[in-house]
Amino acid sequence: MNNDEIRVLLVDDEKMICDCVSAYLEDEGFTVRSAFSGEEGLEIIAAFCPAVCISDLNLPGMGGEEFIVKAHTLYPPTGFMLHTGMLYSLSDRLRAIGMTADDVLLKPVHDLSKLVKKIRLTAASRRES
Amino acid sequence: MEYQDRLTDIINFLPDATWAIDTAGTVIAWNRAIEELTGVKAESIIGKGDFEYAVPFYGCRLPILVDVAITPNLEQERQYKSFIRVGDTVEAEIFAPHFRPGGVYLWAKARRLLDSAGNVIGAIETIRDITEHKRMQEIMAHTEKMVMVGGLAAGMAHEINNPLGAILQHAQNIERRVSADIPANLKAAAEVGVDLDLVRAYLQKRGIFDFIGHIRSAGMRASEIISNMLHFSRGSEAGIEPADVATLLDRILELAGSDYDMKKKYNFQQIELQRQYAPGLPPVPIVSSEMEQVLLNIIKNAAQAMSGAAMVSQPCIIVRIRVSGDVIAIDIEDNGPGMAEAVRRRIFEPFFSTKAVGVGSGLGLSVAYAIVTKGHGGSIEIRSRPGEGSCFTVKLPLQERKL
Repeated sequence: MNNDEIRVLLVDDEKMICDCVSAYLEDEGFTVRSAFSGEEGLEIIAAFCPAVCISDLNLPGMGGEEFIVKAHTLYPPTGFMLHTGMLYSLSDRLRAIGMTADDVLLKPVHDLSKLVKKIRLTAASRRES
Repeated sequence: MEYQDRLTDIINFLPDATWAIDTAGTVIAWNRAIEELTGVKAESIIGKGDFEYAVPFYGCRLPILVDVAITPNLEQERQYKSFIRVGDTVEAEIFAPHFRPGGVYLWAKARRLLDSAGNVIGAIETIRDITEHKRMQEIMAHTEKMVMVGGLAAGMAHEINNPLGAILQHAQNIERRVSADIPANLKAAAEVGVDLDLVRAYLQKRGIFDFIGHIRSAGMRASEIISNMLHFSRGSEAGIEPADVATLLDRILELAGSDYDMKKKYNFQQIELQRQYAPGLPPVPIVSSEMEQVLLNIIKNAAQAMSGAAMVSQPCIIVRIRVSGDVIAIDIEDNGPGMAEAVRRRIFEPFFSTKAVGVGSGLGLSVAYAIVTKGHGGSIEIRSRPGEGSCFTVKLPLQERKL
């Protein structure tokens, strides 16, 4: 599949994490943008129109959950994943927008090729629906 | 006489075990509470001397706190765990080994009795059973310590995750950036005028791909430790569902039997397994995968302990499941070398290990503890003495508790 079509938004206050993940995703042909806060993510999302957004849970200011809920309202086609360093059970409001336990990624992701597969799956299921 | 009766009534009413002696050491009062505590009736002891009152506590005749109240005795006072003298009153914590199986902790208070002229006419002692209090204190101190260590571990784990992620992922990026499969790599190589295949050949020859592989595998090992530590901060995200614990245990025992490490290192096949499952066990709300980890860890620990001890000639693990009130109790009992009290008290602390460096991380049982207590609202207890084996009991509530 051609990944050029697939746009991915990364939201993490650790630039280091955005850098590692975006380097890999760009090599795989994805178009990637990074935002370092939820607020910045909200500014970007409607214009960037990502198929997939991977957001950190612990963000300064607006938290990851709040960001996802708001971003979903701004641009409903995006499929969301939550990237977290803590064990986390998906909250009801994130379930309500269609996220499942599979969309929670525990940091650190050991193998980014698995992340790539997940992104493709999420993007494909979004396209169908 | 009427006055005497009234006095007897008064001390009988007192909830604390109380008795008194005269200066000759003869028992002159022995109230209801101490009758109940010791099982010795007032009529059989009042009037007796020669340290008769020490027998229920120590199993022999010897001077006790009430005697020190009359005549100070530094030698004896020093033997109490804590001893306080304020004026005519003495207080001490006492351990009475013969009281009940396992012994009893008592808090005792004694005071000289004086007549109106100020002459010593005897002494009175009152004691309180503080065994349960001490046990609760120990549990609370332990819980507090686990919460503290757990918080620290989780905080650390969280902080380490991002840099660890960068190490792991950038190692993977390095591998990718020298791969010939990615057009951008070829393009960049051409731009700077190098042959990517030659670069790869060089990296291969100098073992650099192996180094990168080692960075990744070392990072993954660290990451596994971190993810275990995270269990201290929260329960699991996996769902709690009713499960049959007997089936689960059978599966774990089978798993343990087929595990290479267990077979090779701990001679698991030499260990006799006894299953004692109570009939008609109800399903228990658990996260099966986590409980599997808990029980497998305990069984591994038992197997490991027995394989390390030469004196265990017929190693045996008894796995028992029983219902006890509103909990299900799973006993894993071994006839291994057992453990000292100092080890037993610390065994659930993260990074506490009696194994050689590199053999165990010291996280297995602490993760088990966190899963059972935090994740399932249950408890783990250990009974063990050096030379007498160990018994781990995992208790899980039959009804899911909202945590």
